[in-house]
Amino acid sequence: MDAMPLVELVGVSKRFGANLALSDVSLNLMPGEVHVLLGENGAGKSTIVKTILGTYQADGGRLLIGGKEVAHHSPANARASGINVVMQDFSLAPTLSVMDNLFLGRQLRRGGLLDASAMKRKTEELLSSVGAEFDANSEVGALPRSEQQLVEIMKAIMGRKGLVVFDEPTAALSDHEAERLFQIVDRLAREGWAILYITHRLAEIQRLGHRVTVIRDGRRISEHLVREVSNQTLINQMVGREVAQAYPPKASDGSLGEVVLKLDNVTSANRKVRGVSLTVRRGEVVAVAGLVGAGKGDVLRVLAGTERMVEGTVKVNGHTTSQPSARKMTSVGVGFMAEDRKTESLAQLLTVHDNLTLEVMNVRTNARFGLLLTRRLRRITKDLIERLEVRPQNPDSEVGLLSGGNQQKVVLARALARQRDLLVVAEPTAGVDVGARQLIYEQLRGACAAGAGILLISSDLEEVIGLADRVYVMNAGELVAELPAAEISDEAIVAAAFGGGEIA
Amino acid sequence: MSTNTITDPPIAQLSKAPDPTQRTGNGTKYWIIKGFAVLGPLPVLLVLLAVVFGLVSPVFFSAQNLQSIATMSVFLLLTALAQMLILISGGFDLSVGSNIALTSVCTALVMNAVFGGLDEYVGLAMLWGLLVATLVGACIGLVNGIGVAILKVNPFIVTLATMSIFAGVTMVVSSGREVSGLPRFFTHVLGSGRLGVVPVPLLIAIPVVLAIVVVLRRTAFGKSVYAIGGNETAATVAGIRVRRNLIIVYVLGGLLTAYAGWLLTARVSSGQPQLGTEYMMQSITAAIIGGASLRGGRGGVGGTILGVLFLVGLTNGMNLMRMDSNQQSIAIGIALVLSVLISRLREQARRTVAVMELTRR
Repeated sequence: MDAMPLVELVGVSKRFGANLALSDVSLNLMPGEVHVLLGENGAGKSTIVKTILGTYQADGGRLLIGGKEVAHHSPANARASGINVVMQDFSLAPTLSVMDNLFLGRQLRRGGLLDASAMKRKTEELLSSVGAEFDANSEVGALPRSEQQLVEIMKAIMGRKGLVVFDEPTAALSDHEAERLFQIVDRLAREGWAILYITHRLAEIQRLGHRVTVIRDGRRISEHLVREVSNQTLINQMVGREVAQAYPPKASDGSLGEVVLKLDNVTSANRKVRGVSLTVRRGEVVAVAGLVGAGKGDVLRVLAGTERMVEGTVKVNGHTTSQPSARKMTSVGVGFMAEDRKTESLAQLLTVHDNLTLEVMNVRTNARFGLLLTRRLRRITKDLIERLEVRPQNPDSEVGLLSGGNQQKVVLARALARQRDLLVVAEPTAGVDVGARQLIYEQLRGACAAGAGILLISSDLEEVIGLADRVYVMNAGELVAELPAAEISDEAIVAAAFGGGEIA
Repeated sequence: MSTNTITDPPIAQLSKAPDPTQRTGNGTKYWIIKGFAVLGPLPVLLVLLAVVFGLVSPVFFSAQNLQSIATMSVFLLLTALAQMLILISGGFDLSVGSNIALTSVCTALVMNAVFGGLDEYVGLAMLWGLLVATLVGACIGLVNGIGVAILKVNPFIVTLATMSIFAGVTMVVSSGREVSGLPRFFTHVLGSGRLGVVPVPLLIAIPVVLAIVVVLRRTAFGKSVYAIGGNETAATVAGIRVRRNLIIVYVLGGLLTAYAGWLLTARVSSGQPQLGTEYMMQSITAAIIGGASLRGGRGGVGGTILGVLFLVGLTNGMNLMRMDSNQQSIAIGIALVLSVLISRLREQARRTVAVMELTRR
């Protein structure tokens, strides 16, 4: 193709503190072409998107729009250049109508008043162009998610013709809805829009894409025409990295004890977990791997009772239940490290001490006549702060004022504050620097050696491979593979996580 | 996710460029900011208030006026502590005024009936009064608690509804009339008596206040209330019984308020269906000025006491200066807004102190 690219990145780099998020990335987005961006979680896809959208400013390299170099890119500039995005999380006002959402902040006016009939006409044009069946006055919040996405798409294409970025648009769609979306994308491309399409699903690349760029560790690994490349090649390129982290040694076969956790055919009310059965033995780290959104995090939420379980049984330490709750679980020796420390683990306004002892304070031996044994609790905090090297060391610091890594250590400290038979940890090192990571791994392995079983839920492949003795792979709510120690590898996990059927 | 270390730890970023003056000149500046962060603005404001009113009005520091301030503070303090407990848990209570009125009318009716003008029944009448206050308070608290914790309705709506419901019940029970004929001991000793220089209501309130301090600081329940208000999901994941604890919070709040209502009844010598209407606004104001947060997870007895003293002192001083109630209402509104603004500064001071402590290490 010798047409001019609509958006062009040339050798772009982006740094966050000490962390190089993008390094020398080049990308050409041509009108009429669906360009797929492929990479693991954290590879740098969303940083690229945010750079194109003007949310981030590149630290190095050049950004060209319509062939002209842009010195100071901004979201407003992106919008003016016809660059739009359909996000996973919609930016819609649920209580407003479809029309009001579309024209939010850019209402058409005539003579100082809103020109309702012109806006209505335009809305109806857009509705028919995406094949929507609701009307302009429908309240957005009342529409199903798949239809809200159409509104989001309409918003993206109502302005100047340019680029539309789709960020994992099929993550929450049924097959039928996805096919409708593909047709819209196809049509947009035919009409001359440039499309940047981000997906985790290999099948969609073949269905939609013209060109695919593989990103890994913030670098562009390769660019292919879709018809010239195999899925196997794409997977290999996406994965092939060297392991930088040193992990504590794994469990030996002889050190495994009895089964401490057994999930039998567990299904959650939100259907993010479907028919999941798994076991964890004492002394082993069992990982549940899979992509973001595969339902891994909901496994923990089901066990902690924050997501309701509608089917199946959970057996912990000999106790069986069909309605697990954090309270029941902690009373039979389970500790949790939830996925999101801000929303699920820590009360940000409270002190390190209060957060850390949230659970042990309910242990009978830590109170007398209903009064907490303050000195004993303080000592528990002090010991854990030292053991986990929490900084600052002051137990009375507000948790919200600590760095991410130190907050995560507090979450771990809470899980380690009492003797456990099972730890359920989700994304234990998300947003944590290398040093703290090492420490967290060692502590987890240490708990294992002391006889606990660990269920590790992680989107970080490297971590799964480095830490786990056995791996389950989750895809769209179901466990699709179980890998014993000898078979744990990047390729095996990724193949299963990306819907292994197509590449076998 | 994993390689993505783009979090926003305020300290991690700020501490990258430690201000050299903070390192070396760690004396006065640090302690001033630390003092502000820990104590808040109230100690200074209270001193200021005392100095200004002391200069303006010679009566302000008279024993009688101080006793009056202390007595008025007691009623508001009990209500404000109830409000504070509920604020800490992440909710708030609009029904405190109705609670006081209903308690006042019900306890007066029962005490009047039991007492019947006979001196030998004074003790029994008061016992019954206390019992009825407990019942009324627990009932209102239970209704609020069930609405918030079990039915999961927003506390604003729940307590707005119970405010209206129990105001209506009060009118029905009392037919809108005052209930008089209460034992003299109840009205003159419990309501307005003094032991030496100390007002009796204050003496009665002290053990209650101490009990709340212990509950908040030394029991798992107290810590759970902070955790629930701070992050309900985190509390759930830590195995805390959120619903049960929330109901207890509202019941405790109801009890404290009813207790205030009973004492207030003694103070005004009769059961009054309009008693305590101003306490809804004032209790929230005092608790917020005292450092509680509408977002939950923050607040304490000490701050609330200071907040109550500030509010009562301000009202008292303005009365002495013969400001009318409209002017007072304007002043209190301004005080509330200012206190929220100052508490935001205090939040910043907390962050600054945290950064300083990291770099001093």
